[in-house]
Amino acid sequence: MDPGLRSELQRHGIFVTTLEQLYNWGRSNSLWPLGFGLACCAIEMIAASMARYDLARFGAEVFRPSPRQADLMIVAGTVTKKMAPQVVRLYNQMAEPKYVIAMGACAISGGPFKQGYNVLKGIDRYIPVDVHIPGCPPRPEALIHALMTLQQRIAEESLTGPDRPRHLRPDQPGEYPVPEFGPHDLVPPKNPEIWHPPAIRRPA
Amino acid sequence: MEPLESIRDRILAAVPGARVEIVPNPSPSGQHSLLVDPEHALAVARFLRDDPALRFDYCSNVTGVDWLDKEITEKVRVRLRIEGEEREVEETRKHIRPGYLEVVYHLYSMTLRHGPLVLRMRTGNRTDQVRLPSLTPVWRSCEFQEREVYDLFGVVFEGHPDLRRILMWDGFQDYPMRKDYVEPDDYEYEPTPHGIVAEKARRHQTLVEPKTPPGSAAPPGSTTG
Amino acid sequence: MNSIGTAQIGDGYVTLVVFLIAALLFALVPLGLARLWAWRFAPPKPGPVKNGLYECGLESHGDAWRPFKSSYYLYAIVFLVFDVEIVFLLPFAVAFGGLPLGAVLAMMLFLLLVVEGLVWAWSKGVLRWA
Repeated sequence: MDPGLRSELQRHGIFVTTLEQLYNWGRSNSLWPLGFGLACCAIEMIAASMARYDLARFGAEVFRPSPRQADLMIVAGTVTKKMAPQVVRLYNQMAEPKYVIAMGACAISGGPFKQGYNVLKGIDRYIPVDVHIPGCPPRPEALIHALMTLQQRIAEESLTGPDRPRHLRPDQPGEYPVPEFGPHDLVPPKNPEIWHPPAIRRPA
Repeated sequence: MEPLESIRDRILAAVPGARVEIVPNPSPSGQHSLLVDPEHALAVARFLRDDPALRFDYCSNVTGVDWLDKEITEKVRVRLRIEGEEREVEETRKHIRPGYLEVVYHLYSMTLRHGPLVLRMRTGNRTDQVRLPSLTPVWRSCEFQEREVYDLFGVVFEGHPDLRRILMWDGFQDYPMRKDYVEPDDYEYEPTPHGIVAEKARRHQTLVEPKTPPGSAAPPGSTTG
Repeated sequence: MNSIGTAQIGDGYVTLVVFLIAALLFALVPLGLARLWAWRFAPPKPGPVKNGLYECGLESHGDAWRPFKSSYYLYAIVFLVFDVEIVFLLPFAVAFGGLPLGAVLAMMLFLLLVVEGLVWAWSKGVLRWA
């Protein structure tokens, strides 16, 4: 429908919508995050859900204690290699549709602990991340911004057609392989199907 | 607290056969430490805890140090017979001091309010003689920290009640805090263009992935040019 | 008279039936719609990990139906001593002024029994931490 015509109709008190828009509006305004934190970013996440920043304005205040009831995973903090299988397993146990926000420098790349022997260099090596938030730790406003970005993305998702999202495609996996503890590192060290390192192009 | 020399002398008197020496600390802190031989360490620890003038009843910290093999050069004057004439010549000699693992205990006294006393133990080498007595029977707070030293340095504590890895998983085989630890090469991508990490990422890309596959080309703007 | 009466009764039942159908539809239509939506749009993606036991992300070992150690009975006893005591002590304390002598004696007997359990647990060393 032509957006100009729609706004003209709205001015006269006639609201039209599509099933897709209604569905996405409902989903994007009731994102229930999984209640877990890994490091100091979790403190900012808690602050964002409290009265001052009030994540409830976006319908995302219901932190669920079980992955079966959650549809948003906020990876808040350093993912150690010992913790990574648990995080991936929690993601796998969430019901579709599910989204991931990688919060903070550690969750997106390993951050200041990148050279540590025990830190995973970004959770997007194992699970698909929808929104990355830089910062160490990011302020609650940054988390709110990430949530609004995610809401925008959900509102733009189409139910049918070739560009429909992952959870609506039968051929796309609903769970990703959980890494095993190996003798020197996690096995495998990354999931090559979802993570491709960008090439470094930098003057020598 | 009484001076370290007198503590050492009293240990030597109380524990017969013990070898205790003072390891000086040349830094401004001047925190000298006692090096104890592993055979008598448990008796020395009991003495330090129970002696009425010392009463070190609290072990606050256990840590490990990895000393690699070190090449020591020293200048020695030797007498040599050169062209039929005996002369004194200065000669540099090199010998390799074998490496060892060291465990450091920091002891305090809660009752007498003094400390710290720094206690050290050294293993025979870094490979097969890595057994040291556990001081957990003397100070219970050593338990987790000795497990950590075992986990990260590979020092095996004899007499420890529950010697398992504490930070890394059970199947892990390396000792990450040793200086010759080789970390897994997973520096595929490094967004921050600084120093060592960027160098590691560049080395990874030239060694492991000489050509980037065409499907994984970087989206524009995601890498710094 | 008779026909009016039956009509009234019939009307009452019709309303009931309408309500019943409305209630059934109210419950079933959203369920059916959700089912239809899932069939049309949401492909099911079951998996061994997804359908596995939820153990805070850890791998679960064995069955959830396993016997507990019988030594937990100590916790039960100490819980009884402190908790049941509170339940009975509070009304006892509230009504203390107007109680006959028999009730006080019965309560004292009960307290004696409970305290006996506490003394037993104490002497067994249950109350020692670590």
